[in-house]
Amino acid sequence: MAKLDFSRRTFVQGGVGLTVANFLPGTTPFAHAATMEESTIAAAKAVGPAAVNGMIWSPYLVPMQPVIAEFSKQTNITIGGVQDISIFDAPQRAMAEALSRSAQFDFIHIDSNMIPSLASAGYLEPLDDYMKKANFKIDAVGDYGNFMTYGGNTYGIPTDGNVHIQYVRKDLIEDPDNKKRFADKFGQELKFPETWEENLRLQEFLMDPSKDLYGSGNLRNRANGVTWWYMIYYSAGGFPFDDDMKPTLNTPAGQYAVDLYLQDKKVNHPEANTWGTPQMIPRIANGHVVSCQYWDGTAKLNENAAKSKTTGKWVYGLVPGSDFSGKRIHRSISSPLAAILINKYSPRKAQAAYMALWLGSGKNSIPIVTDAVNTFHDPWAKEHMASPLVQKAYSPGGVKAIEKNFQVVSPPIYLTGFLEFQDALGKNLSEAYVGQLPAKDVLSKTENEWNAIIGRIGRNKLKSDLKSYKAVMPKRLVPA
Amino acid sequence: MAVAAAPAAGLPPPPARVVSRRRAIRLFKISLLSPLIVMFALVLMPALLLQLYFSFHQWTVYLGTWWDAEFVGLDLFQEVLTDPRFGWAIVRSLLFATGSTIGCFVFGFLLAYLMYEPFRGNAVYYIIFILPMLTVPVVVAYTAEMMLYQSGPINDILSRLSGTEFKPAWLSDPNIALATVGLLEIWNWTPFSFIIMLAGLSAIPKEPIEAAEILGASKWRIFWEVQLPLLRPVILLALVLRFLEAMAEFPKTWALFQGGPGSATETLPIYIFMTTWQYFQISKGAAMSYIVMLMMIVIVLLAIRLLRREKQSLDKMYEQPSKAEG
Repeated sequence: MAKLDFSRRTFVQGGVGLTVANFLPGTTPFAHAATMEESTIAAAKAVGPAAVNGMIWSPYLVPMQPVIAEFSKQTNITIGGVQDISIFDAPQRAMAEALSRSAQFDFIHIDSNMIPSLASAGYLEPLDDYMKKANFKIDAVGDYGNFMTYGGNTYGIPTDGNVHIQYVRKDLIEDPDNKKRFADKFGQELKFPETWEENLRLQEFLMDPSKDLYGSGNLRNRANGVTWWYMIYYSAGGFPFDDDMKPTLNTPAGQYAVDLYLQDKKVNHPEANTWGTPQMIPRIANGHVVSCQYWDGTAKLNENAAKSKTTGKWVYGLVPGSDFSGKRIHRSISSPLAAILINKYSPRKAQAAYMALWLGSGKNSIPIVTDAVNTFHDPWAKEHMASPLVQKAYSPGGVKAIEKNFQVVSPPIYLTGFLEFQDALGKNLSEAYVGQLPAKDVLSKTENEWNAIIGRIGRNKLKSDLKSYKAVMPKRLVPA
Repeated sequence: MAVAAAPAAGLPPPPARVVSRRRAIRLFKISLLSPLIVMFALVLMPALLLQLYFSFHQWTVYLGTWWDAEFVGLDLFQEVLTDPRFGWAIVRSLLFATGSTIGCFVFGFLLAYLMYEPFRGNAVYYIIFILPMLTVPVVVAYTAEMMLYQSGPINDILSRLSGTEFKPAWLSDPNIALATVGLLEIWNWTPFSFIIMLAGLSAIPKEPIEAAEILGASKWRIFWEVQLPLLRPVILLALVLRFLEAMAEFPKTWALFQGGPGSATETLPIYIFMTTWQYFQISKGAAMSYIVMLMMIVIVLLAIRLLRREKQSLDKMYEQPSKAEG
């Protein structure tokens, strides 16, 4: 037997060499850490095959289908039946399901702002345990992942960012003639607006109704208009309730938001008071609007030359802010925020939950948010922002704007009774917009109606909800 | 009931054949009514009772089960009756139902009057006239939406025809939004009045008209003094049925306006739907529905009374000549 004879130096050098070699790729078969997607598949396989039923609007489902097919191939968990219900009608239907404790749907695809109401009604399954088992994390931009939480639990998996970004017509603000006229009139440069007041001035200056070009493309109908109001109100430093759940709408910040909201009438189309997205989006994409805040999916449409007359003609950016509170605050909004929620009463809830996690991974959802035909899903994950496919669909400027707005994105009323609170405010704003209610009465009337809602749902219950609402609010005043 | 009345004292009992016939008639009536009674007992009654339960119990859907709901007596009814939104919803519904019922009736009657005497090719017109009623209300609403924009085809056609710029904001002016739905309702449901009035006109006996013609009455006089009085029960029926239907109009109003602009089209069905399924105030919605149901029952009872009176006066009218002949 040969004697092993080597020096202490040789021994140490050899040890270091082996250690380094161990970390070189291809040198040793060292343990492979499973990806989030692999862990999800493993966890899903463990709960066995099933055909899950859901409630989802078909424009959302179609781009998901190839991703679901891959999941089904690997796990034998398939989609059974689907009820095609618009996301705007889904809350009523979901609430009816909750009241009857129905197990008809294993999952529902719905505005996540319904989470407090549905969780309070006992309909939702917390997803934290499934996420833990699948080593899953909602890897969203900014604090957007918080939108899925309520009372310390996670109840939803986002599929659609749906954040508002600012749209301004580049060709109009860069036109030398417009620039000169603006500078002559205001003594300032015509540029991308940073505040609500600057935005309104720009809209008034550039609009030309004789050419069917209106300043604003914001929605002002009863159902959607209120979404715009929140942005102004939050950016003025407002928050709708104090710690004792007393409404705090009727404040200078609230009145400032109402006044600005109503001034849109000067620059918007005369029929805008009943228009929703089906009317307004084509007008934006076809060049009839100077500037607006709108859901980010419209950027994808604008940049699709086959469907838009304004490709390359937009600047996208942060929604305007306000100095009203003494410091500049920007607040964007995401509502409705489409997410997958799981029915607690479902016998297939585990299978449905893992399918939701699979669809909610950043990597898996890239094809979903970049679908060129079914454009309802918009990016929200960090991985989306770096994806060349997303950059191509939304334009690099569009993606940057989405990222910025996500850092200051806020919810509407994130409380049990969301629809009740929102509709009371929306109705009164709408009445003021069409001249049925004096602007000064909007907030006092809404506060009275809100007090009745609070009395009905219970102040203590809502006070406990308030923690979740505050947790969802953005922490930054302006994006980093 | 005359057929079931006991024989008066001293009168001989009716023959067996008559008794058997009466029994058969009674059985026939029961067999006709029994499915309705069963359906009422099994389907409608539980729903009404459940609704009654909710009207007296405050159920906050987010917080507990329905059987734990707190008994609140008449509080919910008081809340509804003092709610100005509910009051305005009643006013809007009554305006809408009255206007559209009159519109449907006028156009339906005119068309029926044109059509009731057969002419060559009348079947084609008949099909054309009833087509709107066969169109789904939501389709009516969405089609109308496309046509009624300020810069849409309706305003364009009216402007060209009148030679002036005619640009009412059918969909966005809160002062005319309800009238817009009313016009659509008239378009959609005129055929209903048309069919009823056509049946009524066709059923008028020829003799009084021929007699009036022989006596040299003008067409207008025949219409005003012969046909119209004979048609009164049918007219009343057409008006009542249409009014009740119009009070319940929901799909077009919801598809076009969802209660807006502002609250201009917030009618009773819209407000009840919103209260129940938008705000999830099941109990308040139930109380509202009960109040509306009572309102409708009063209207129906009044209508039945009027119909009876009309029928009696018609019966008298028919009896008089036969007595005179006798």
